[in-house]
Amino acid sequence: MTVFKTFLQVLNKYKATVIMYTVMLVAFCGLNFQTSESNINFTASKPDVLIINEGEEIGITKAFIDYLDERTNVKDIKNDEESINDALFYRDVNYIVYIKPNFRDSILDNSSNPSEQFEKYISSVDRTIIEIKTTGDYQASIADMLVKKYLNLVDIYSRTYEDEDEIIKHINETLSLEVDTELTSKVDTNTLSRVTFYYNFLSYSVLAGCVYVICLILSSFKNKEINKRTIISSMDYKKFNMKLLLSNCLFAGILWLVYVALEFVLVGSVPNGYLIIYLTNSFIFTICSVTIAFLISNLINNKNAINGIVNVVALGSSFLCGAFVPMEWLPDFALTIAHILPSYWYIKTNELLKGVEVFNSVSLEPIIINMLILIVFIIVFVILTNIVTKLKLKK
Amino acid sequence: MKPILSVENLTKKYKNFIAVDDLSFNVNKGEILGLLGPNGSGKSTTINCILSLLNFESGKITIFNKEMQPNAYDIKKDIGVVFQEVAVFEELTVFDNIDYFCGLYIKDKTLRKKYIEDAIKLVGLEEFKKFYPKQLSGGLLRRLNIACGIAHKPKLIFLDEPTVAVDPQSRNNILDGIKKLRDNGATIIYTTHYMEEVEILCDRVIIIDKGKIIASGTNDELKELSKIEEKVTVEIDNLDDKVLDEIKQFKNVDEATYNSGILFITYKKGKNNLSSLIDYLKKADIHYDKIYSERPTLNDVFLYLTGKELRD
Repeated sequence: MTVFKTFLQVLNKYKATVIMYTVMLVAFCGLNFQTSESNINFTASKPDVLIINEGEEIGITKAFIDYLDERTNVKDIKNDEESINDALFYRDVNYIVYIKPNFRDSILDNSSNPSEQFEKYISSVDRTIIEIKTTGDYQASIADMLVKKYLNLVDIYSRTYEDEDEIIKHINETLSLEVDTELTSKVDTNTLSRVTFYYNFLSYSVLAGCVYVICLILSSFKNKEINKRTIISSMDYKKFNMKLLLSNCLFAGILWLVYVALEFVLVGSVPNGYLIIYLTNSFIFTICSVTIAFLISNLINNKNAINGIVNVVALGSSFLCGAFVPMEWLPDFALTIAHILPSYWYIKTNELLKGVEVFNSVSLEPIIINMLILIVFIIVFVILTNIVTKLKLKK
Repeated sequence: MKPILSVENLTKKYKNFIAVDDLSFNVNKGEILGLLGPNGSGKSTTINCILSLLNFESGKITIFNKEMQPNAYDIKKDIGVVFQEVAVFEELTVFDNIDYFCGLYIKDKTLRKKYIEDAIKLVGLEEFKKFYPKQLSGGLLRRLNIACGIAHKPKLIFLDEPTVAVDPQSRNNILDGIKKLRDNGATIIYTTHYMEEVEILCDRVIIIDKGKIIASGTNDELKELSKIEEKVTVEIDNLDDKVLDEIKQFKNVDEATYNSGILFITYKKGKNNLSSLIDYLKKADIHYDKIYSERPTLNDVFLYLTGKELRD
């Protein structure tokens, strides 16, 4: 018990560090949950559109303008080249529709090939009946989609009906049809996203906490002079090392348990399948962090250097692997480098898990592979630690 | 009586450098053995070899009639070591530090507590039990270092230069503590390059230089080895060369020098050397301020044996 008791006494001196990393985890996750409050209601987006009708506003032309008026924000801008170009440049409008004078006549004149006629409407080359200018952005794409949808309906009904009013009536009927949409996913994606963010950020707190605290504690126990006293004492040195290892593992285990409990408090529970994988993944990562801490403490025994090393190892790998920002936002070169870090495989598993709808061999295979890669990391770190220890003993 | 510690033909090399060269000596129960030698003479290396902290090329080490091995825990339980460097946890208090190191030997909590209190009392740290090492002065830190090494009441104690960089008050406290340990029955091996400490403390002295024993014995036995028996120092303002030459011709005078107002004379064996000198100075009407006589020190012995000062 002497070793364990002293371990706890030394750990007590560094409790502020553990608390700091825990507070960071809680604070950042809390902040993230506040700002990313989301629900599953959808609202149609309305692009800013300028309509320049060069013909008469009657019949199908009026119906088309009314349609656009209802579904977009129609802007009123002076009809001259400079004003229109300025409006596009400054994104005052996303989309400009020039309705040519022969627009109505061309639609109603379906004696020729209507399909070919329609291709002309939407073709940017044929500017005889309609001309388009866009900012090319997301809003412009929505406006483009709306225009194409209307012209498509015009094409369909102008082949069936000759009367203009009949065509307009059927187009409006079709446009007024609504379909109920139901999300069939059984998973609360909002909670799952939060849990994923929490467990991703947890990689930083666990890695930094383990490396910092374990390295500091081991640097005390393995201080050259203190270690000499331990070696010449009547306690079996192998047993002493085993006690020290178990004490460190116990600390890491308790740290993991506290962080898991905090997840339940902050976010809440997720279905069992997800929970088991999140817990297993984070537990393997915690063991991996302990092995990293042991390797570093074998390489470096200077307490002053440990702070810098924690920043390089924990902060560096967390930034590179997407613990703080989603992986998809990271540049490719960063993700390529991140492959050599355990945090990458841990976070990748969490991200994969977020997208899983059904647990089967296909969905679980990449997750299990990532966990196995983490275990390989653990084995590599243990082997490296042994090599370093033996080299030091020889020296 | 069998010795408590026996070192036979110990040789330790660092590549081509021989740090300990065929060293043999015994330590008897209840004595304080001084290992005296200049820095780098092989004292600490010898102790590290005895404690199995270092591998050695050849030799045999027997402690409590058993061969010492790295895993000889039954021997180690009765050994205490105080290293030259302070070896304590910065994060623990004085009491907790002693508790930890004592706990490596003693499992019984009640007994351990008593031993810790005894150790604290021995080194005089009663008022500093709850202090952290960084709150202690250099001398107090050294006392804590000693308490950590001897709290488990070992039968054989190695003290490797425990008074280096210590203030006089702490030094006296440490030396008193070591005497108490001996009085309580412990056998002590004390390494130092402070000859004064050896003279005060040690029953027997081994002088080591370049990894070899160059002399051993009691203080008096060692001083016998020196060709001088008495040293006389006289403070004189002016002394001409003629007078100095006359003094050199006195009976028993080994050497006489005069530098910066100090006349220094060493005598070989003989009696009434000081009184003869005083008589001569009176007759010659030579005024002097102070005059005193000393016995030779171990440094003189070392100087005689090696031709260099102990602290060179």
